Amino acid sequence: MQTIVHSILHIGFWLLVPPLLPGVINKVKAWVAGRRGPPLFLLYYDLARLLRKHVVMSETASPGFILAPVIGWTALGLATAFIPFGSAGALICFKGDFILFIYLLALSRFCTVWAAMETGSAFEGMGSAREVGFAVLAEAALITALLSLCVQSGSLSMEAILSPSAGTGTLLLAAGLFTILLSENCRVPFDDPNTHLELTMIHEVMVLDHSGPPLAIILHGASVKLMLFSVLLVQAVLPVGTQSPAVSMALLLGGTAVVTLAIGATESLMARFAFNRVPLLLTTAFLLCLFALLAAWRGGVA
Amino acid sequence: MNPAFLCIAVVCGIGLSFISARSSPKGWIIGTFLSASAGIWLAGIAFLGKHALEWKSAFTVGGQTLHCVLDPLAAWFLVLLCTVGSAGALYSLSYWSENKHPRSAISARRWWTLLTASMGLLLISANGLQFLFAWEVFALAAYFLVTTDRQKRDVRQAGYLYLGASHAATLILFAFFAGIAVHTGTWDLNHLAGHAELAPLFWMALVGFGIKAGIFPLHVWLPSAHANAPSHVSAIMSGVCIKMGIFGLLRFSQWMPVPPQAGWVILTLGVVSSIAGVAFALGQHDLKRLLAYHSVENIGIILLGIGFAFISKANGHAAWGQIAMAGALLHVWNHGLFKSLLFLGAGSVIQACKTRIMSRMGGLWKKMPLTTVFFAIGAAAISGLPPLNGFVSEWLVYLGMLDALTGHGIVAGTAVIPIVALAITGALALACFAKVCGIVFLGAARSEAASNAGESPRSMLTAMAIPAMLCAIIGACPTVFWPLVAPTLSAFNPAWETPIQPESLSTLGSIHLGLWAAAACLGFVMLFSLIRSKRIRRSITWDCGYAQPSVRMQYTAASFASILTSWFFWLLHTVRHEIPPHGPFPAQATVEEHTPETVLEHMVQPVANGILRLSSATRRLQHGRVQSYILYLIIGIIGIALVVGWANPNREQPQNHSSSPYQTVSPQKTDSSISSQPCI
Repeated sequence: MQTIVHSILHIGFWLLVPPLLPGVINKVKAWVAGRRGPPLFLLYYDLARLLRKHVVMSETASPGFILAPVIGWTALGLATAFIPFGSAGALICFKGDFILFIYLLALSRFCTVWAAMETGSAFEGMGSAREVGFAVLAEAALITALLSLCVQSGSLSMEAILSPSAGTGTLLLAAGLFTILLSENCRVPFDDPNTHLELTMIHEVMVLDHSGPPLAIILHGASVKLMLFSVLLVQAVLPVGTQSPAVSMALLLGGTAVVTLAIGATESLMARFAFNRVPLLLTTAFLLCLFALLAAWRGGVA
Repeated sequence: MNPAFLCIAVVCGIGLSFISARSSPKGWIIGTFLSASAGIWLAGIAFLGKHALEWKSAFTVGGQTLHCVLDPLAAWFLVLLCTVGSAGALYSLSYWSENKHPRSAISARRWWTLLTASMGLLLISANGLQFLFAWEVFALAAYFLVTTDRQKRDVRQAGYLYLGASHAATLILFAFFAGIAVHTGTWDLNHLAGHAELAPLFWMALVGFGIKAGIFPLHVWLPSAHANAPSHVSAIMSGVCIKMGIFGLLRFSQWMPVPPQAGWVILTLGVVSSIAGVAFALGQHDLKRLLAYHSVENIGIILLGIGFAFISKANGHAAWGQIAMAGALLHVWNHGLFKSLLFLGAGSVIQACKTRIMSRMGGLWKKMPLTTVFFAIGAAAISGLPPLNGFVSEWLVYLGMLDALTGHGIVAGTAVIPIVALAITGALALACFAKVCGIVFLGAARSEAASNAGESPRSMLTAMAIPAMLCAIIGACPTVFWPLVAPTLSAFNPAWETPIQPESLSTLGSIHLGLWAAAACLGFVMLFSLIRSKRIRRSITWDCGYAQPSVRMQYTAASFASILTSWFFWLLHTVRHEIPPHGPFPAQATVEEHTPETVLEHMVQPVANGILRLSSATRRLQHGRVQSYILYLIIGIIGIALVVGWANPNREQPQNHSSSPYQTVSPQKTDSSISSQPCI
């Protein structure tokens, strides 16, 4: 009975809450710039509108153009099942599940790229090439970050490694994971979600040709991914899982809010990097995570 | 069923294939399937039985008693051989038929049968000479299959390179087996475990088998051989033949003691092979060459698992070693399946487009929908994506390494490097196969041939469906295969008596099933609802408002990979030819990138040239002057006299020098000549 309630709550949360994050980020950016900004719930309206619309498909595209976003979204949805929710724990938890988590993200990336390549558009090819290229470094950094948590906690499941705090390397890990978050979710300084110049985009350019319900699913999936990384970051850094339910919930929500505000602040204060500097920044993220790992290592030995 | 009966069935099947290779392709395929299914049945007996199947001939051949052992380790590779062997044979029926290739169709079938039969013999050989015989027949059969299309210059060159590399391997293995025979006094390989002095011979085995397995940097023969062979041959070469190298490594570490550093060396080779393999793959424009480099990568992944198994074996048989080893073994199967699937798919594509260059293909999903689906499954599997088999084996390797990491044992510190390397490899493989699928199957056709392509005949599609189904099944039900992995593990290392299945393996299987179900349901709902409400409209691709996008505006394979290849420039030495645009109305501008066979051209060729120069220098010894020839003779005689004089003192005290080569081999030789007499 408890598992059923837990799953319903879990699915409900991940379906309904993530689209809020882009709204918050936009509000923060608007506030910094002194504008009123788009409504907080804009993405919800957009999703509802898109779900009712028709699909315009490129003449070169196969049914995979519609199926790929669905599979990618399913993979992201499944990935959320491994993220614990404070002291309530994760929906699914087993030894080595964080590898599956990383590879589910990879599956969703493969699907996005597949759908982008369907159109034969040079711009979408460009975006895909950038996406898969930068993901190599981001994935290396992400797994190093999770390894440092493994070493710190001595266990191998997402739930167990996320519940205690990150120990001595906390700050390094937080910086590294935040950079990965920005890169994986195509935020400034890696990509600018607001730009309207196809040549310079990564994620947005890959979904140029999508419309209607598939685009709704892609947008929702993107917000889920953002939420996923925010929640991951908060739990990796703070000992959320070891607190009482009320405190852990407050920590988690507060932490996610802080991360969202930080993304908004980063986007307001920074410009997008030139593409040749992106690998440098990602390597920095990797090194930060590696140092966090070494710190955890020293802590474990001492 | 009685194993003897099954053996007879295997032999009959092979015989039938040989006889009917000329007259009736149907008989040939029936023979192949008969021997393959009997082989799989035999393997099943070896897996589930308590003891390995063993047979020693009552007679001798050339002084040697034939000795065959089918233990779970051999059975593991035998199953792969039978599966890929029959799928490839089925594929070749219409792919390399008499109509298309009147000159070579029959000989290709014969060599195919010989290749699979010799690999089968190789797997069960427990006698050094018998092993070498099977090894040589296998290498030659593979050579003739690679050069099936030998009117083409490229094919002949690739064949020579393969033959050269393969014989270098054979030479080293000859020395290896001779070394064993010298130390033990017999070519029989069954009782080597006690001979600790044999351990250094392992390095020879590593090089000899490593060449065959295509370990970086010994892989130089592999890309061109795989690329120039007919595709069903590439499939078995990549799926099974290179695994014989892995089998050799495992077999002679199972039967023989290995040096304590072996695990670390293998681990290092694994890291290098996996990353270098995929980096080179990214730089390729030739579809089959790209797939060939992915073999190097996957051999690297297998070596990661094996390396950990060796390290664990050398350090108290820790449990993480067996999980990593299970991953490596399963990856042997998995790579055999998805790589042969990909090569078969590539064969269909290449036959349809009449080129191997990816940038002349495109939009093939319209013409070849089923091939596209199968290839996509293979591509997702080789990129290690859930819910397919590639992920299961990579995950097991990860799990072994992670256990080592958190175990705070001897390898804890170094485990980080292979884990991160495996993650990077996975991401690079994904990039590479996103490129392949995108350029070859999606978008618009880039050439006349690609736009006129047609779907392959049914037998070719069936041949691709077999490995594709198996990829999905292993991904969805990994626990079904554990009862086969477990005896293989304990056959490899008896200290792992009853390997415990990682409890999360079944969870992983059910998650994979769930993912299949969820993706299928949601995909169906989405497509069905859109189609039923007629909400799909077709239009041209959005190209920034440009209304007449042409096919040549699409991204090419080189441009897709350029970000990643530029990171690996230090390794790949990619050559770039560029004519930049000039003036306000540029007339012509081109960019072309080409990744050469860097290891071959910068490492192997200089050495080979040196050897050639040295050998042509010795040619000066032959000049026609009789006086000098007499001088050579005298020098030769003095040399022989010196050798005999040096060896002679040993002969006087036979008991004290039992380790001397002459002493230990000669009694065995006389024995065998006596025992062979009754036969004659």
